[in-house]
Formats: sequence, structure tokens, C-alpha cells
Amino acid sequence: MPNWVLETKALTRKYKQQTAVDALNIHVPKGCIYGLLGRNGAGKTTTLRMIMGLVKPTAGDIEVFGQNIQENAEQIYPRVGSIIETPGFYENLTAPENLAILARLRGIHRRDAISYALSRVGLDHEPEKLVAQYSLGMKQRLGIAAAIMHEPELLILDEPTNGLDPIGIQEMRNFLLDLCEEKQVTIIISSHILSEIEQVADLIGVIHKGKLLEEITIGELRKRNRRYLEFQVSNQKKAVVFLEQQFQINDYEVHEQGKIRIYSHFGEEGKLNRALIENNIEVSKITMSEDRLEDYFVKLIGGRASD
Amino acid sequence: MINLLSTEFLKLKRSQLFLISMLGAATSPFVCFIAYLGMKSKKPGVPILFNEVFSETNLYLVLLIGVTLYGVITAYLFNREYTENTLKNILTIPISRTRLFMSKLILLLIWILFLTMFAWGLTLIFGVIGQFQGLSAAVLMTAFKEYIVGGVLLFLLVTPTILVTLLCKNYVPSIVFTVALTMVNVLIGNSEYRVLYPWSAVLVIARHDFITQYPPVYSYLSIFATSLLGLLAAVIYFKKEEIH
Repeated sequence: MPNWVLETKALTRKYKQQTAVDALNIHVPKGCIYGLLGRNGAGKTTTLRMIMGLVKPTAGDIEVFGQNIQENAEQIYPRVGSIIETPGFYENLTAPENLAILARLRGIHRRDAISYALSRVGLDHEPEKLVAQYSLGMKQRLGIAAAIMHEPELLILDEPTNGLDPIGIQEMRNFLLDLCEEKQVTIIISSHILSEIEQVADLIGVIHKGKLLEEITIGELRKRNRRYLEFQVSNQKKAVVFLEQQFQINDYEVHEQGKIRIYSHFGEEGKLNRALIENNIEVSKITMSEDRLEDYFVKLIGGRASD
Repeated sequence: MINLLSTEFLKLKRSQLFLISMLGAATSPFVCFIAYLGMKSKKPGVPILFNEVFSETNLYLVLLIGVTLYGVITAYLFNREYTENTLKNILTIPISRTRLFMSKLILLLIWILFLTMFAWGLTLIFGVIGQFQGLSAAVLMTAFKEYIVGGVLLFLLVTPTILVTLLCKNYVPSIVFTVALTMVNVLIGNSEYRVLYPWSAVLVIARHDFITQYPPVYSYLSIFATSLLGLLAAVIYFKKEEIH
């Protein structure tokens, strides 16, 4: 049986007639970054709220570190850090004072815990500044500092890049990757932006209208959605030999109806076409796949990109 | 619990409400002082006695200022975790909701008692400045006891305001609620029903100002029953509430 850090079993949450989360089964292995991907209102935040005990499930179970979370909350939550939606802080206090409150409540006695957390998120240079004067991005970073201060084994981040500028997003991405790699922290990150999830996650759970549509590793997803050039030719065998010998093309797939998918040599389709024709191989169609991952996501949730 | 209480104090750092609450508590001694100075200038021969000043000041503090002032503090302490979005940080540590609730109640008691003693001390200082008469240890002790009894009983009666705050998650309904309670105080302050209405019964108990129609137990019962019902309803709601 796989060693899941977090597993939900038929997790369901209903609000009167509306089902926000519908029999959700997600599986998060140890030491990976799990991306919970879905459009706004898909049920991501409700799921994370249920995991953190802020909202009660209508049905189903949540197991964290192999233990039922409702029965073992006291043992589990001290090992978890989280940001659910916008992080909140006491505006009349500074960042170190806000963290001092959480440290005291968590029973953290290490003196450098607060300065360590603030330095990890780059907020250690203005310790006297009140949180009321912080930008949304700074508050977001302070939220991360609060979530990692007690060195959790599981980090749950709901849309953590909200309010961050492009550099901040890149820093956050690198920070999460470092945290996962250096400290083997398991991270669950939710987002509605595929490209954001794609760059950090090892495993993606696509959620739509409260249902988990697919749980897939990023490797499998990329494999399934690799960019390619597709030539439809009259003589497939001859074309393949020609491309291998003349252009050293080895990364390709042969499909039905004379189609050859080439996963390299992008931008050279004209040159390849001309060479094939000059060698009496008729090319009836050339197709280029573009932005397939985005299309795949849109197709999966059954909508259009503009929806 | 000590950790929780100490963090509640830390949350008040640089909070303007603490200073504002002191100004609020100072209103009653200051207004009474000005009124008695006016009386003294009109009738210089009539002595102004300390026990009268203490008693009048406590009346305004308990019946008029206290309910609303302590209501505002209550709303601030309980509502800020919602408005500043900090409740989820605390509950996911995890911290027991009951313990969090109780730590806020203890802070509220300390705050109310501090303001009560501040008002008592200020009345004394104003009395000395105004050269009022009849100051003795017995007068001071009697007044101090009346003030503390008033403060503690008003503290017990904050539980319905906590419930309103938790239900509405907004300062305005809580303030409107306490203003309404104060208005009823004003309406029945001179009638016999003052011994039955919890918020005016506070002064009746503090002053031992009972009436023959209703035994003292009625006043105590009305206060404790209101407090207990408010507390139970507020704790049950807070424990069951989902955080969105």
C-alpha cells in the first residue's frame, strides 16, 4: 500500500442543494508537490478548508500521515502549515510580533525560528514596519513565513501567488521547490493557473465542479501533451528512413494514415517538407501542435478557453 | 492558557482602543466633577461629600457609559479575529475554541476591572482637586467595593453582546445592541423594574438598593441567568461555527 501523506476518501461537502466537493479521492505521496488545479469555484478552497478542519465534511474521510484527521487533530495539525485564501494578520503589529504570537501558541521555543522564517521569505529587512503598511504580496510572503515557521512536514497553500508580482511568483516557485527538495516537505498547492502549477508540481489533481477529473504525474501529462510536428506522407516507411538518415531525427512516432509525429526540429518544418518532396515523398498535410497543455486542461473540464 | 492570555495582551500592542476605552471610562468621573464644581459655585455653603460623588459617578458608569463601552471592547476583542482574518491561523495550530474563547473572556474581565479602578481613582483625584469633603478609609473602601461589584456584574452581562458579535461578525450590530440596552436602563432606571432588568439590577446590587416588592434573589437571578444563557449560546455557536 502506498505511503500517502494525505488521502481523501469520498470527501464530500454540500451546501443545501449545492455540492461544492463531490466524493473527492486525492492521493498525495510523501515529498512531492501536489497541484490542485481547477477553475474558480471548482471546490479547491473548500477541500483545503476541510483538510484544515475549518469546514466539516458532509461525508467522507481525510487521512493525513496515515491517521484520520478528525480523530487525531491534536497530533496531526502541529505537523502541518497552511495558508487558506488570503493570510490574515494583526495590522497593529509588526511581522515579528505577529509571528511571535503564533510561535507562542505553537510552543516554539527556538529563538531564531521567527528570524529564520522571515529571512526565508525576504521580509527580514524591515522588522519595525507594521503589517498595516504591507502590500498584498508582502502579506502573502508573511503568510508563507507563518506557515513554515514550525518546520511542517506538510504544507498546504491555497493560491499562494495571489497578489505577487512576476518576480515574486518566480521567487515563490523557487522557494517551494527548494523546500521540497532540501527538507522533503510535502506541499499541496492550489491554483487556477495551469502554467503556475505545471512549473512546480510533481503530481496534478484536476478538479472541476467539485469532482476530481484526473490525477496525473507531470511527467505523464507532458508525455501525453508533448509538442510535435506532424507530417502526413505518401510513403511512411521511406520517409522515416530518410528523416533518420538525413536529419538524425530519432524522437518520433508513427501513426495511422501515414502520419509521422516528430518531437524535435521545431521551426524547420519548411526545410523538412522541401527535403521530403525532393526525395519523391508526397506530403499531403503538416500540423503543428501548440500550447497543448492548456488545450488539454480546457478539454478535460469540458469548456472553452474563454469560458 | 497562560500562553493564550499573554498573546491576547500582545495583540493589544499599539491598539488605540485601549486609550479610547480609558477616555470613555474617564467620562463619568469628569462629567460628575464638572457638575459638582458647578453646584459648588452656585451654593458655596453646601458641602460636597465624597460618598455622594463616588455614588453618582458609579451610577453614570454602570447605567450609561459601562454597557456601551464594555460592549465596544467586547465586539473588538471577538470580532477582530474575523475582520483581520486571523481566526483560521489560530484554529489550525490547533488551539481549542473553548480555550480561545475563555482567554478572551479573562482579558475582558481584566480590562473592565482596570477601567473600573481607573474611574474610581480618577473620581478620587478629582475629589481631592475639588476639595470635596468627607474622605475617609471607610468611604473609599465602600466606594471601591461598589465599583468592583458593578464592574464584575457588567462583565458577566457581556455574554449576550459576544453572541451578537459572533452572529453578525460586525461591530455595528453589537454597538446598536448595547445602545439599546442602555436606553432601556434610562427608561426604567427610576421604576421598580430596575431590580429585574439585568443591566440596571447591576447598580441595585452594587448599591444594595433593593426594593421590598422583589427580593434581592430576583436581581441576582436575572443577571446570572442572562449571563449563563448568553455564555452557553455563544460558546456553542463558536464551537460549531465553520470558518469561511
